[in-house]
Amino acid sequence: MKHPLFLSVLLAASPLCAADTPAQVFQIQCAACHAVDQMLVGPSLVEIAGIYRDRPDEFVKWCIAPQHKREGVIEMPSMAHLGEPVLRQLHGYVIAAAAGKTELKKGQGDPYSVPRAMVRRPQVQRIFLPDASPAAIAVALPGDLSFCFDAAECRLRYVWKGGFIDGAPYWKANGSSLAKLDGEVVYREPSHPLTPGTDDPLATPKFLGYRVGKDGLPTFRYRRGGVEFTETIRPLPDGTGIERAFTTEGKVAQMVTIGAEASISSSTGNFAITAEQSKAFTLTFRWK
Amino acid sequence: MIRYLPYFALAATAAAAPFAIEKMPNPPGVDPQIGGMDTLPDGKVVAAFHRGEVMVFDPAAKTWKKFGEGLHEPLGLVAESPSNFLVMQRAELTRLKDTDGDGRADEYETVFDDFGMSGNYHEFAFGPAKGPDGSLYIGLNVASNGAGIRPEIRGKWSEIGDLSFEEMIHGDGWGKRAGKAGRMYARVPWRGWVLKVSPDGKSMEPYASGFRSPDGIGVDQDGNVLVTDNQGDWRGTSPLHVVQKGGFHGHPASLVWTEGWNKGDPLKLPVAELEKMRVKESARFPQGDLANSPTQPVPFPESWGPFAGQVLIGEMNQSRLVRFLPDDVGGFRQGALIPMFDGTSLGNGNHRLAFGKDGTLWVGKTHLSWAGAEGLVKITPSGLDKLFTVKSVKLGKDGGKQALRITLSQPVKAGAEGVKVKRYGYLYHKGYGSPKTDEAEVKVEAKVTGTGDRELVLALEAKEGAIHQVDLSSLRDASGAALEGKVIYYQATKLP
Repeated sequence: MKHPLFLSVLLAASPLCAADTPAQVFQIQCAACHAVDQMLVGPSLVEIAGIYRDRPDEFVKWCIAPQHKREGVIEMPSMAHLGEPVLRQLHGYVIAAAAGKTELKKGQGDPYSVPRAMVRRPQVQRIFLPDASPAAIAVALPGDLSFCFDAAECRLRYVWKGGFIDGAPYWKANGSSLAKLDGEVVYREPSHPLTPGTDDPLATPKFLGYRVGKDGLPTFRYRRGGVEFTETIRPLPDGTGIERAFTTEGKVAQMVTIGAEASISSSTGNFAITAEQSKAFTLTFRWK
Repeated sequence: MIRYLPYFALAATAAAAPFAIEKMPNPPGVDPQIGGMDTLPDGKVVAAFHRGEVMVFDPAAKTWKKFGEGLHEPLGLVAESPSNFLVMQRAELTRLKDTDGDGRADEYETVFDDFGMSGNYHEFAFGPAKGPDGSLYIGLNVASNGAGIRPEIRGKWSEIGDLSFEEMIHGDGWGKRAGKAGRMYARVPWRGWVLKVSPDGKSMEPYASGFRSPDGIGVDQDGNVLVTDNQGDWRGTSPLHVVQKGGFHGHPASLVWTEGWNKGDPLKLPVAELEKMRVKESARFPQGDLANSPTQPVPFPESWGPFAGQVLIGEMNQSRLVRFLPDDVGGFRQGALIPMFDGTSLGNGNHRLAFGKDGTLWVGKTHLSWAGAEGLVKITPSGLDKLFTVKSVKLGKDGGKQALRITLSQPVKAGAEGVKVKRYGYLYHKGYGSPKTDEAEVKVEAKVTGTGDRELVLALEAKEGAIHQVDLSSLRDASGAALEGKVIYYQATKLP
């Protein structure tokens, strides 16, 4: 493979770049996201030809100022640097390349799946996940971490690194298959990390829902041992762990009581968290 | 017959013209299978999709806008306001709220999740249907022995059954054990039940049991909770139930969760005992003839003229909808089912129905892994005042005999002598589906009467419990038009 970044810089510097045929420009600028007969990151040439066959002006306009059109798919970057004449040639190339071709049958692949690198983050998706109760919630964090929160047990179950989930096995079979994790589990938590100092710790936890912040991250609300918690999980900047922000009404002391595969630190400086401190505190987990 | 020939072409157009059926565009990049749907006061439509998106459709611009996402197989939606939607997803009833007015849900509030999940794929959750007092009714599917359960479940486990918890876990050799699980099973709470939940979710009443796959739950004009269920075990053909509080509606698996249940495995009770316990069907959809998988019941608005007072019901497998015309006999609500939109471009997969304020009918389609279709369809009626159709069907007495009194929207001009009636039933048994039983022709004397010949009285000997299938395809109005909905399936659970 050539080095696309290097070449696109060259193209930007000399927009007309007479040496490159439309086919070459396509290979360098477009092929990573557009295939002839199937959706990759963006639509197939067959589909594009269907939309723009007799509308070269709109095609050029779109390439210069693309918009976010499809849910679950990232926005196309502007191709303004290629310049209008090259884009017009590309239009002809796309029509010619799609001629006589048809969109591949959707039977095999999942037409709505998004490649790993293009998954929108953060994102919440409730679905059947492995190693959790049926009331599982998958959350993609910014970066490459994702986690499973269990709404039946009201606790974090595990964190994985890599992509998000492949939900197609579930969606295509009405839940007779689980979604697959697209990555490796880096941390599992055997129980909730906090034990309330009073009240009945054995009372069934109660899930209350979640709030999605402006940053797209969910803040879970639940009641355990008579205490109503909120919990927001964020990735550490270096990706080696997570930061968990808790709030409570501040009436019950809490104890961090977990024998986890992670080193834990508390913003309170101590694992015995006083009722007053429990109003808002943060636990930082780094995998070992 | 020949003298009607010139009118036939006219009749065909007259019957099809009142409904404009248009397919709407799908939201780009979204699996366009609709699980839940409602309309908003401004005419917009809100739909919940298979993979968890909740989107608002603007009929004027024909565009979709995302409101929420990430839900787990949503199968019902009620709009409380343009910024508050109740959605039934697999694990819970959730209230999605846009609290900051940016058009996107920021709060996903768990309203009610106090029911079990074994992890079995068939444990769908349906509803909510809103009662006159604001109560929310939800329906919970039983599990299927097409698979076992998962090692982790939510809720209490019922020990009643031939297989232990460990044996019920799906894995190698499940196929050999499946037969002992029960064709459909309810090993976790409230599977096969309709639950009545307070709007804040804080209180719940186990309202009625005996359901299998109640994918249609709605409340009619009179405040009755209606449920359609799907043909299968203990369902000889798909029924419509007017749900009775505290009633057992025929599918036994759910009985284990009855308070104080002490009769052991309900699947082993004698059929005669279950027969005595059960609430009978208010209507039945003959499998293959009328409907195979009926869905949501929704009352017609007054603006639908001759259909006012009736209930519209979706259907997955056949290219039609079905309407229910209620009849109260001996204190029991039963009635007639009549096909609707036959011979139009409607297509199948008709899962969720909602009427807009302006009378527009919206049909949301799905298929999941079964028969069906996708997307949103708009149906606009016109000229309903001229439509020739059945307005009501009542079983009563005429002189000393039983009679079906059929009220029509237009005078009957011809064809009464061609009306034919037959009757049949289906078995109530453990087996999957049933052949028709006791099929017989029914002798009928037809007379046209009433104000302006708008009533057809069929004197006949009705059979208790049977479906009475009345073929009205011979009837014509003054314009020569045949009926919209030519066959009546009247369920005579009670006789006058």
